[in-house]
Amino acid sequence: MMTPLLRVERLTKHFGGLVAVDNLSFAVEQGEIVGLIGPNGAGKTTTFSLISGFLRPTAGEIFFEGIPLHGRKPHEICALGLTRTFQVVQPFPDITVLENVLVGAFARHAGTAAAERRAMAVLERVGLAHKAYYPARELTLLELKRLEVGKALATEPRLLLLDEVAAGLNPVEIQEMLKLVRELNAEGITFLLVEHVMQFIMQVCRRIIVLNFGQKIAEGTPEEISRDPKVLEAYLGEEAPDA
Amino acid sequence: MKRAHRLRILGLAGGLLFLSLLPLALQRVNRGEYYLHVLTLVLLYAYLSTAWNILGGFAGQHSLGHGIFLGIGAYTSTLLFSRFGVTPWLGMWVGALLAGAVGAFIGFLCFRYGLRGPYFALATIALAEAMRYVVSNIPYLGGARGLEVVWKGHNLAIFQFSTKAWYYYVALFFTVICLAISAWLNRSRLGYWMVAVRENEDAAAALGVDLVRTKVIATVVSAVLTAIGGTFYAQYFTFVNPASVFGEGPSVQILLYSIIGGLGTVWGSAIGALVLVPIAEFTRARLGGTFAGVHLLIYGAILMVVMLFMPQGIVGVVQKVVRRRPRAKEDR
Amino acid sequence: MNTSLLAQAAVNGLFIGGVFALISIGLTLIWGVMRIINFAHGEFLMIGMYIAYFAVVRAGLDPYLTLLVTVPALFLVGALIFWGTIRPVLSAPSMNQILLTVGLSLVLQNLALVFFKADVLFAQTPYAKMNYRIGSVVLEMPKLIAFAGSVLAASLLYWLLQSTDLGRAIRAASQNSRAAQLMGINVRQTYLVAFGIGSACLGVAASLMIPFYYVSPTVGIFFGTIAFVIVVLGGMGNFLGALVAGVIIGLTESLGAAVLPGSLARVFTFAVFVLFLLFRPTGIFGRRQG
Repeated sequence: MMTPLLRVERLTKHFGGLVAVDNLSFAVEQGEIVGLIGPNGAGKTTTFSLISGFLRPTAGEIFFEGIPLHGRKPHEICALGLTRTFQVVQPFPDITVLENVLVGAFARHAGTAAAERRAMAVLERVGLAHKAYYPARELTLLELKRLEVGKALATEPRLLLLDEVAAGLNPVEIQEMLKLVRELNAEGITFLLVEHVMQFIMQVCRRIIVLNFGQKIAEGTPEEISRDPKVLEAYLGEEAPDA
Repeated sequence: MKRAHRLRILGLAGGLLFLSLLPLALQRVNRGEYYLHVLTLVLLYAYLSTAWNILGGFAGQHSLGHGIFLGIGAYTSTLLFSRFGVTPWLGMWVGALLAGAVGAFIGFLCFRYGLRGPYFALATIALAEAMRYVVSNIPYLGGARGLEVVWKGHNLAIFQFSTKAWYYYVALFFTVICLAISAWLNRSRLGYWMVAVRENEDAAAALGVDLVRTKVIATVVSAVLTAIGGTFYAQYFTFVNPASVFGEGPSVQILLYSIIGGLGTVWGSAIGALVLVPIAEFTRARLGGTFAGVHLLIYGAILMVVMLFMPQGIVGVVQKVVRRRPRAKEDR
Repeated sequence: MNTSLLAQAAVNGLFIGGVFALISIGLTLIWGVMRIINFAHGEFLMIGMYIAYFAVVRAGLDPYLTLLVTVPALFLVGALIFWGTIRPVLSAPSMNQILLTVGLSLVLQNLALVFFKADVLFAQTPYAKMNYRIGSVVLEMPKLIAFAGSVLAASLLYWLLQSTDLGRAIRAASQNSRAAQLMGINVRQTYLVAFGIGSACLGVAASLMIPFYYVSPTVGIFFGTIAFVIVVLGGMGNFLGALVAGVIIGLTESLGAAVLPGSLARVFTFAVFVLFLLFRPTGIFGRRQG
């Protein structure tokens, strides 16, 4: 059996009295596209923050290619090959789009010329090459989302954590993002996606993990979890997930 | 593209040539020595604020106590020269090393424990003020009166000149080097890491930027450069005292030029100095010794005006105007 | 160590600590209400001291009667400066606010330098010679009065904040300006009044200090810096914290000067300050309103 790319074991996070993530365990294999869903407040983004080093686990362990991640700083984890995006886009507002991605490229290239070439290539990939020299603050939301993916892509990750990348996109834009994710996956990048937009996650994920109140309540293929009564119950009492 | 690049180089070379020939031209002019003095001051402050800009503009950590490093440089070389006869050219490097170490220590302490924005500013103010107070009370360092750079005659080897022109050329040399370092940083990985830290720390960390290390490096580079400027300061003014280097005045002056000129740009600090220093100097000359603190009064007023009406600085205003044009490949 | 010397230092430290506390309460009030660090706070005190000085020396007023002049004058000065220069940057990045007040501090200091030169002025009053003796400890009358006056003023301010409508408005605006606005409180005006009150505290401190302290254009630097230390120590925005920390710092400064050689006492104070900034920026008592 191959070592899973990412292995999360008994991950727990307490904020004072609040238990945000509760004894969560799952694995992501190389080449997969795995989804992480759940109602608001289920602990999805907290899980991302724990995996990527922005939060320290209260208990539990995280392994990436067998290397322990828990306790490491975010920049170390990025260097190891795991990069995350943010739910609320986090651009570098006062520099150009190209320079935004350049920062990511510098994670793998020390020289500016090589990094710039890489950054330009990434911009082509995510369809932002025409906006390369615009300051990031002038971009539309969709463009900012593409930029968010682009920045992460430039770091040449083996595992990419996308946090609600489809939120706020119209159906056409969703399909474009789907296409991008599939293409990148075909090129060898493994994905772990947090999503609320069901249309997106159902079409692209091979396997989905469902959280509620910080605990894993279901895991399976899109078909399986959409029929799982525990999942439906979790989402009741919430407005119906975007179909 | 090549042509634009070539034009830039030509422009820079031409400017350098002009600046180099200026002293010779000023020799023929009435009160030429005075103008040369003002220009030398412009260069000195352009140098100091460009150095500050590396930490404050690129990395976005606004130090309000950079006088610490200025003073360390000035005092170290002066002490070594006056008491031990060590040439300031060497003392300069000792001061730079010391300042770098202090910068690393302060930086590490502050940034490791997450001091940002106003808290970092407060800490730097406190440290500068502490330095000023301590040095004022140490007789070996000259106390509140300070130390004098003893005149031993015109001698390049000990960084002492009898005419202003020599100091001018040294200042020009230093400033060009500092600007070159700044320009290099502007396009280098380290520089982009600094900017990323300034723009968005979380995003930077997620993209592999070591926040603490980057900030500390920025502090050290800035401190080292500033300290070297401190040695020039001491040699030029031939004395150094606690208030003139560790006080509120020098620290604020240094950052003021960067703010006026445009934070985080390569040329902004120099432009700010170019605009402000002559104003202060001519005012000081007019009102003379009667009003000791006039230039600081003016600086304080300008600082307030800029914060109220033009927080982006001169370069920022220019950039806003320039941005109206359709997008073309531009350098930051 | 000579115990009577220590006792003397302790007494003096306590007295000056009260004044420190009063000065810092103004600063912590301003920070607590509108999150502005007023770097010109010390210069406001300097202005108050000049006013008190000239009232005593030119108009022959009893120093404590100058309160009638300095308090309204400083309130006015604070209100005007707030309205003209600080209100516009309330929503600007904090660095801009800091730089604004730093500029203000430079302007005020150097204006004083221009008008009054660097002369150190001391107002001779009959109070300066009044002392009481308790054992071997001398209680200097002006310092004792200053301490009592500071405590009184602080209590008055505390009562104002807790029990009056104005005080409640100030506390509401400082906790949640949006909610306060929804409740019909004019937040801008409340900020103005709070800033004025914070400055008026300095008027009280100025009048209380004139009998035993000198005035010069740079007198504000020391007190301004000490005020920051105290505010951080006591917890930014924490009224009671500023009081306690004020007395503590007064004691450490005074005892430190008696025990340690030269400038080490001040360095100790700064070291404590930086340590708190690093490890416990919420101060001894943590953040608490009013």
